Order: sequence, then C-alpha cells, then structure tokens
Amino acid sequence: MEFIRSGRILPFVALILFGVLMWVYRDQAKKGKVPWIKRIPAFNAMEEAVGRATEMGKSVVMVPGRGSLTDLFVAQTVAGLTVLNYVARLCARNSVKLWVPMANALVIPVARENVHDAYAAEDKLDEFDPVETLPFVSGSQFAWAAGVIGYYAREKPAANIMVGPFWAESMMLAESAARIGAVQIGGTARLYQIPFFAAVCDYVIIGEEMFAANAYLTRDTEVIVSLATTDVFRLAGWAIIVIGAILSTVGIKVITELLGV
Amino acid sequence: MSELVRRNVPLIITFLVGMVMVLEYYTVSPEIMAVAEQINTWRVILYACVYLGTINLLRLHGRRVMRRTEGQWYFSAWTILIIVAYAVLGLYYGVESTNYRWMMDNVNVPLGSTMYASLAFYMAAGAYRVLRARNLGVALLLASAFLVIMGNTPLFPAMFPWFAAVRNWIFDTFVVGSYRAIRIGVGLGGVALGIRTLFGLETGYLGRRRGE
Repeated sequence: MEFIRSGRILPFVALILFGVLMWVYRDQAKKGKVPWIKRIPAFNAMEEAVGRATEMGKSVVMVPGRGSLTDLFVAQTVAGLTVLNYVARLCARNSVKLWVPMANALVIPVARENVHDAYAAEDKLDEFDPVETLPFVSGSQFAWAAGVIGYYAREKPAANIMVGPFWAESMMLAESAARIGAVQIGGTARLYQIPFFAAVCDYVIIGEEMFAANAYLTRDTEVIVSLATTDVFRLAGWAIIVIGAILSTVGIKVITELLGV
Repeated sequence: MSELVRRNVPLIITFLVGMVMVLEYYTVSPEIMAVAEQINTWRVILYACVYLGTINLLRLHGRRVMRRTEGQWYFSAWTILIIVAYAVLGLYYGVESTNYRWMMDNVNVPLGSTMYASLAFYMAAGAYRVLRARNLGVALLLASAFLVIMGNTPLFPAMFPWFAAVRNWIFDTFVVGSYRAIRIGVGLGGVALGIRTLFGLETGYLGRRRGE
C-alpha cells in the first residue's frame, strides 16, 4: 500500500537527509568544529545605526514587513521578527525610542511579546509602551505606507531598518527615509523589491541572507549548524543543475526524469 | 504564567502542528489528512486577531485625544470617527450594501490609487539618486537601465528594432539568471528556517534565545 504520495518521495528523502546532515554537523560542533559564517555588513551596521540614533537623540524605525504568519511569506516575517528582537534589545540598552509600524493584526501579539522580552532582557521594561511602540497603522497597503511615511516626515528617525516581506511600498518607504537622511538597512527575499532596496538603502540584506539573521546575530551553534546544512544542500542543488544541464544537452534524461521535470 | 510555560508551550504547539502539516504533505494517510483539515479549519479562529488591530488603533488614538496631544489629537479623533462610521455602516447595512460600497469605492479606492500612482515619482527619484556614473559598476548599470527603458517604450523599438532585442537579451540572461539564483537560495533558506522553527531551534522570532 502506498504511504508516501507519488512524486514526493525524493523531497521526502531530501528532508530526512537534511535532518541527518544537521545531526552530523551538530555532533562535529560539539567537538569544537563550528562552521564559519561569512561577514554580512548589514547586520554589523545595525548596532552602528542604533548608536547613531542614540547620539542624535532620535528614534529608530524597524519595519518587519507586511507579511502574515499564515501566508507564503511567513519565513520572511519570522526573519524580520528575529531582527526586530535584536534591534529592540539595542534600543532598550541605549534608551532609544523604537517605532514598529504594524500592518498585520496576526503579527501584533508575536511582535509585542518579542519586543517585551527584549526590553525585559535589558531590564528596561519601564521604558516599553506597547501601544506607542508597536501601533497598528493599517491593514491596507498604501494606507499603511502613508502612515509610515508620515512618521518619517514628522519624527525624522535616525535609522530605518526594514527586514521582511515587502511589496510596492518598499520604494516609497526607502526613498522617503533617504530624503530625511536616515541610515537605512533593507532586507527582503521578495525578488522585485530587492533592486529598490539595493538602489536606495545604505546596507542591503539580499534574499536568503535574511534567514541567517538569527545565526549571525546570536552566534548560536545550533542555528549555525542548520545554516551549514543548507549550504551543503545548495551546493548539491548547483551540482544537480550543472550535471542535469550537461546530460540533457547530450540527450541523457536521467536527472530530469528523477526530478519529474 | 510561569516562564517555563511561556517559553515551551508555543514551541510544543509549533512542533505538533508543523509535524502534522509536513506529514500531510508527504503521506496519504487518511487519519493525518483528517487532522490537518481540522487544523486548517481552526486557523479561521486566528482571523479574530483582526480585532486586535482595531483595539490597538482605538487605544492609540483614544489616548491621543484624551491627552490632547499637540498637532495630532484632531487627526486621531477623525480616525476614530471614521473607524466607528465604517463599523456601524458595515454592521447595519452589510459590507456588500450600496452605502458601504459607495464609501469604499469613493474614499478608499481613489486614495489607494493615488498612493500607487505616486510610486512612479518615488522610483524616478530613486533612479536619479542611484544612476550616476561614479564608477565602472554604476556606469554599466546606467547603460543597462538606459537600454531597458528605451526597449520598453513603444517609440524606440518601432524606430530601432534592436532596442527590443537588447532589452530582451538583458532580461533573458542577466536578470533571469540572477533572479533564479536568488530564488533557489531563498527556497533553500526558507526550508531550513522552517525545519529550525519546527524543531524549536529557531526562537528569535519569539523574542528569546536558546538557553536564556
């Protein structure tokens, strides 16, 4: 009797291999062989951006995108929330005003808990006002964008950090913040928005780099290990693409048949 | 609520629900499919969180009105008035009624369209900022942008057909190649993040780090 769905056996095997490989890397890490992570300037710049806001006595805006926790872009929202926690902690440490415009009501409880824990970790809970720090601006795309742009114009924040899923509003936010001279760090895995951030922001987190946020910011061995596993899979992916292209060119369809292409 | 419960309950729920959904994707077990369907039905409950947004808005703007926050309280009062007006009209007449649709079509839609139209100016300003031939890299970007813009206009390809060919070549080679590379990376990164979240290794989004 069939138990695994037809056409999904290979991804299922890959998933199991992923787990096994992660376990192997974890074992090696316990012996002191922790994989190396490349330097990502945008993450280093976050501390610098909050430091600038501290010196200028201005606020920091952190936008975790407009995604939800139930849509296709949940991975990007999760990455944005991870960065939010780090930025909130820096802001709490330096007593800098943080503003996080919320666009999705589902994300509000998680984001609020996230920032609450960051302030608690820095023993600055008395400075945390959830209503003012994480206001729900609007669920409508351009109404939300207008609200955020209005804040930029009124408060002139020293830093604008945007990490998460963004749509057409990305350019509006980035360009508006650039006009007031804010240091900008932009990151998204939404393909059509990456060029906008690359054009206007001072630092850019491109695509999958945002998923490395937790590993990079916390240096947690477990998370670094899973990143290394992803890299092995990426290399395997490239190898399959190259070998598959060569074999297809000479008329051998083994790879394409195996992948069901 | 104890710290242990606050820390572990979300992780346990994530693991259990995530495992059911993963198994539902890979297997044909009717029992697992039934549980997954039930979980999907429960997901509707989450949409009740929309009220959290409304409550948050009313608290924020209500506070500003009460405190007469300078330069803001009258905008806040207007916001509350509009929220109440939409809620009353929607509840009384229904969201498909002519009155409610009239408000949506004559207020929300034109405002949204206006904001979207303004995007062209933001893009032009951004392009002006970045497309200055300061070095070889930017000069190449500027040249590519020029060829793509010219290739996208109706006039230039009509006069010089090679503009359209060059534009297509740039898109089919450089743009598609780099987009696919990013797309594959994002796919793998997303899967890895999902697995980490499923097994409780990724806790940054919950605002806490492992071992804290």
